[in-house]
Amino acid sequence: MVTPLRRKLLRDIGRHRPQFVAIAITIFLGVMVFAASYDSFQNLKASYDQTFVDFRFANLFVRGGNTEAFAADAAGIPGVEVVQTRYVADLPLEISGVKLLGRVVGLPESGQPLVNQLKVIAGALPRGDGVVVEEHMARHFGLVVGDHVSLYDDAAWIQADVTGIVSSPEYIWPARDRQDIITSPDNFGVVFAVQSRAAAWTGLDAPNEAVLAYAGTSDDAAITAQLTDLAASHAALDVMPRELQPSNAALSEDIAGFEETALFFPLLFLAAAGMAAYVLIGRLVYAQRPYIGGLLANGFTRRQIAGHFLGYGLVPGLAGAIPGALAGIWLARVITRLYTGLLSVPVTLVQFYPTTVVIALVFGLGVSVVAALAPALVASRIHPAHVMRGESPKGRGGMSIIERIFPPARRLSTRWRMMLRNIGRNPRRTAYTIIGVVLSLMLVLVSWGMIDTVQHLLDRQFVQIQRQDATVYFTAPVDADAVSRLADVNGVAAAEPVFESPVSLSVAGRTYATSLVVMDPATTMHRFAAPSGDWVSLPGSGLLVGTTLESDFGARVGDPVSVTVGTANVTFMDTIAGFVDEPLGTIAYSSWENAAARAGVPIPVTSALIRYEPGVDPAAVRDGLTSLSTVAAFEDAKAMLNTVQDFMGLFYGFVGVMLVFGAAMSFALMFNTMSVNIVERAREIATLLAVGTERRAISRLVTIENLLVTGMGIPLGLVAGYYVSAAAMSSFASDMFRFDLYVRPTTFVLSALAMVIVALIAQIPGLRIVQRLRIPEIVKERSA
Amino acid sequence: MSASRRGGIAADQVAPSGRMLYSHIEEGKARMSIAFTQLWKTYGVGPTAVDALRGIDLDIPQGEFTVMLGPSGSGKTTLLNIAGAIDDATSGTVKVDGIDLNTLSRDETVQFRREHVGFVFQFFNLIPTLTAAENVQLVAELTGHDDGERTHRVLTDVGLADRADHFPAELSGGEQQRVAIARALVKNPPILLCDEPTGELDFETGRMILSLLRRLNREHGQSVLLVTHNAAVGTMADRVVRLRSGSIVEDRHVEAPVEAEELTW
Repeated sequence: MVTPLRRKLLRDIGRHRPQFVAIAITIFLGVMVFAASYDSFQNLKASYDQTFVDFRFANLFVRGGNTEAFAADAAGIPGVEVVQTRYVADLPLEISGVKLLGRVVGLPESGQPLVNQLKVIAGALPRGDGVVVEEHMARHFGLVVGDHVSLYDDAAWIQADVTGIVSSPEYIWPARDRQDIITSPDNFGVVFAVQSRAAAWTGLDAPNEAVLAYAGTSDDAAITAQLTDLAASHAALDVMPRELQPSNAALSEDIAGFEETALFFPLLFLAAAGMAAYVLIGRLVYAQRPYIGGLLANGFTRRQIAGHFLGYGLVPGLAGAIPGALAGIWLARVITRLYTGLLSVPVTLVQFYPTTVVIALVFGLGVSVVAALAPALVASRIHPAHVMRGESPKGRGGMSIIERIFPPARRLSTRWRMMLRNIGRNPRRTAYTIIGVVLSLMLVLVSWGMIDTVQHLLDRQFVQIQRQDATVYFTAPVDADAVSRLADVNGVAAAEPVFESPVSLSVAGRTYATSLVVMDPATTMHRFAAPSGDWVSLPGSGLLVGTTLESDFGARVGDPVSVTVGTANVTFMDTIAGFVDEPLGTIAYSSWENAAARAGVPIPVTSALIRYEPGVDPAAVRDGLTSLSTVAAFEDAKAMLNTVQDFMGLFYGFVGVMLVFGAAMSFALMFNTMSVNIVERAREIATLLAVGTERRAISRLVTIENLLVTGMGIPLGLVAGYYVSAAAMSSFASDMFRFDLYVRPTTFVLSALAMVIVALIAQIPGLRIVQRLRIPEIVKERSA
Repeated sequence: MSASRRGGIAADQVAPSGRMLYSHIEEGKARMSIAFTQLWKTYGVGPTAVDALRGIDLDIPQGEFTVMLGPSGSGKTTLLNIAGAIDDATSGTVKVDGIDLNTLSRDETVQFRREHVGFVFQFFNLIPTLTAAENVQLVAELTGHDDGERTHRVLTDVGLADRADHFPAELSGGEQQRVAIARALVKNPPILLCDEPTGELDFETGRMILSLLRRLNREHGQSVLLVTHNAAVGTMADRVVRLRSGSIVEDRHVEAPVEAEELTW
């Protein structure tokens, strides 16, 4: 049976349905975003973890040095379950006439390796001269079992049959290395072959990489440390734990974003909902003082009164939290499947996490109940005699802050002064409206800021810094003349020689695997950005290295650095001449003169940077270049950009949804506070109407007042949003990529404009109240 | 603007600016008559309809101090509201100096109220964020009488010149009502409508307010319509109209009105 008090609760909520619905919707959004993000994070993490378990993803990768000796010693270390060695090298590939960079990875003759196993999607693992093709490249080129690919083994092109299509835990995100995290299937692909064929094609005398899997029964970090020392003793070039493996690292950063989203965005929504609920329920308590007094006078206990008003928080909390949790869980499943499908993650795990539901409900209910707590306590402490005697709290009066600080404002017309003072008459409510604007702008700027930042990063890396249109890789090192002849190809405006090789840098007592790029100091194909933002030249002496070595390694200009070129088995000493600030990668750059002087050997040309003539057909130029016998592979600079833009579609969708949610959140809070303002001032408004003020004049005053309050929040929101965005972006910083926040000026302007528009829309219901106000009834009321 | 668009108001009563002018009103000596003819006001429809006024016929001449008496629900406030054009009649006419208020457009109604009617409410209805002077000035600015001198003068008239810079929360009930009266008077309205002006005040203060209203009526000549349930107040009026259940049950002139200071209840 519904008690009269409960009936009153439901009817009161019904009478203020729009405001309570707004609160419930905001709670719904907050809970849904939390559940969707957190469950997506858990699902994706579980999917990756299961992938790594099912396919025995290596705990450690050790490359270079005396690999087989290292492997033999490593096998004896407690906690190491499996050690396997293999051949891994980058070779030119040709697929359907397209030359690109490829990687060959050796597989045991018997089939599946013990570590880093493959998921066979089609066909079978290779036998003899056959290869299996990694899924991304296969899909891009439309390869099926029975097709052919060609590999260049330093002497000739060799055709290999495609025996299967596979997915590998090492290439879920098909990055070439940590310095080349963004690749296009048009530029880079991976094939797997039996060890003997891999050995023959790569020309390596012995396996050059060991992959290790731990037993999982001991401290992994301690085992890694032990193995790192062991690897160093065997002259290994690079020791890479699983966490740093490029594909794993990139994906881990990505799903970490889901975990952050699960915390940050829901907090904004729930804070806004809490404030809106507090304003509304506080107002209801104030308006119902006489009735509360009557209930108390008739014997209701204070606890009953407090419990009754807590119900005003409980109802919208339940109405928002329960559907929000359910919607979030469903959405998480959609997002998980979409994500794993897009990235071709071999295992998709979608599970039900009871803790998510519990946390979601606690958040949603907790916020609205806590918001109702203060008004409920106020209601329970009402003195019946005072309220029933008709004593209302006297309204506040006083000059506005602007009038106090700026005396000429006191000469404004009375209506303007009234409006300025209205802003300060309920400081808490005004503060909540301003906070609502601030929260909304934080949400908008974090979302929109991500888009601006990523676009800026792409522009900076692929347009301002890397200025080539393409890179060609030679079948064998060439001389300067060979590079010059590239310029004779139709459509090529310029060609510059480059040496590029994986290296190991030892600086400040630590070792870092990266790439060394040697180019002409007068290069027009690459610009070097100093941390100060200035463009600098490649020095004639010393290396320019990525700023990560400064920030993470503590390296300084002038520090000595040991450079080991793995492919040439050469080590030389050099000096850090400066740092470069590049969004992608942490590369070491040197001039030809410096490299030759330091290495003591001539530096070969391994590739060339190409610039097209304006207006040419890139495909035609590519064909012209790759038809040259000296050209083994081709990398289109714009193709990488296009690859990223393709993935951005999902991202833009996410940001678009967040912007809509943000608008809804700010609308809900502003709608509540503005409506309550109008209702509370009904008697004043009726009096103004009675003395002959036009309704539209009052509407104008109300609008200006609302816009002033909104305007007070906008600068605070833009500043807060900027700093929160910067903090969010900095959490994605690593040596692979760095998102330095960049927000376009127009983004600030448009965000502010969006807030103004939301405020104008949110006040419409309040203005309707002004239009429909019945003067005779209101002026006779003791309180509105 | 043609007479037809302005709902029957004669062209010579409309200034080029569009403001309504009653040319026979002397500056500083506002006077207007009000005539109710077969006035009905019904709230609701069907079985729940309530007749708040039933065919009221009443003429209030210029400058008269009329007190309307009656119990709650008698229709006195409704009649007052219709006279002040803040409510509409269901049928019948309300003519102020010959102009039927029912024929005015919405904007013209607002203009009429702004320029010709002063209201004094039971609960004062002052703007809490404005000082006493600013509450008065608000209306002064609205009607174009926004020189500070007039504001000061009306506050002096009501004896509150020294409290002009105080906010309503800092004033007593009587002081607040005096501010409300000053606000009503600052535009020198021909008609002053008072709805239970002493309802929230103690005896002494209420008597003081009534005395003030009577004095201002004599000095400025406004037609005053004062609604109250307190029969004693009728003895100070020029005329007493008593309503019951929406009809006039008594309408008489007071032979020898007493001074407000002599009232007792």
